[in-house]
Amino acid sequence: MLIDIQEGKALNPMVIHITQEKINLYAEASGDFNPIHIDESFAAKTPFGGTIAHGMLNLAHVSEMMTSAFGRSWLSGGKLRAKFKEPARPGDTLTINGRIDCVEQKNGISYANCTFECLNQKGETIVTGEAIVKVSSDER
Amino acid sequence: MADKAISYEELTPGYKFPPASYDLSVSLVSKYLEAVDGTGDGFVPPLAITALAIATMAGAIPLPPGNIAIHASQELEFFKLVPIGTTIECHIGVAQKIARGKMNMLILELAVFDQDKEKVQSGKTTIALST
Repeated sequence: MLIDIQEGKALNPMVIHITQEKINLYAEASGDFNPIHIDESFAAKTPFGGTIAHGMLNLAHVSEMMTSAFGRSWLSGGKLRAKFKEPARPGDTLTINGRIDCVEQKNGISYANCTFECLNQKGETIVTGEAIVKVSSDER
Repeated sequence: MADKAISYEELTPGYKFPPASYDLSVSLVSKYLEAVDGTGDGFVPPLAITALAIATMAGAIPLPPGNIAIHASQELEFFKLVPIGTTIECHIGVAQKIARGKMNMLILELAVFDQDKEKVQSGKTTIALST
């Protein structure tokens, strides 16, 4: 375990800068070439008025924060629920915060219940959600 | 994976898309890690797997003309570590189809298995279609 599992403990925040290059790279890595993400002339004609980052790109950074905090416990026993509230656009700087809200015991296993949010530089919520990590008792 | 024979109207709860397989090669995972500023430790980031499943969905859903698909929400559960080099198979089905005014929503269930047929992750994706 990479952090102390304590209720109220904040996870190390992540700050990322969204660029069109980063979005294009993610499109190539994921195979998701939806033109709303990569075709600026197409996206300009949509209600978004321009390209937006893949929701999963934003969420990937949440998962990186969880991996950084919980290591393999997250990779092999994580659970999350996320809502994509607003799009992230090229030029945005996103800050991802998370914290352990409570730790529950079920059948001898500890579960860290976390909440997270991803905000842009204007303070708008881009992604919000909850995550649960199964933590074996000897890792606490 | 794309099943262009079916129309959006024909997508109903219970519909299963043809499964898609991916080899989680070093180059594929490296490209993903570069895109998300990630640090790998020999295992595939679970959201790299989800990303492939989502892309599979995106390629398979026959959008009504003039619509764009927006990812509205995501639920995921990870069951085991997935080493680089694993071959996965993504299974996707329609769980719900909702129409609210001009907004249509699709809720899709995904399940991903490794080459040993063990489930590595499952989830639920909500996609909003907008004109």
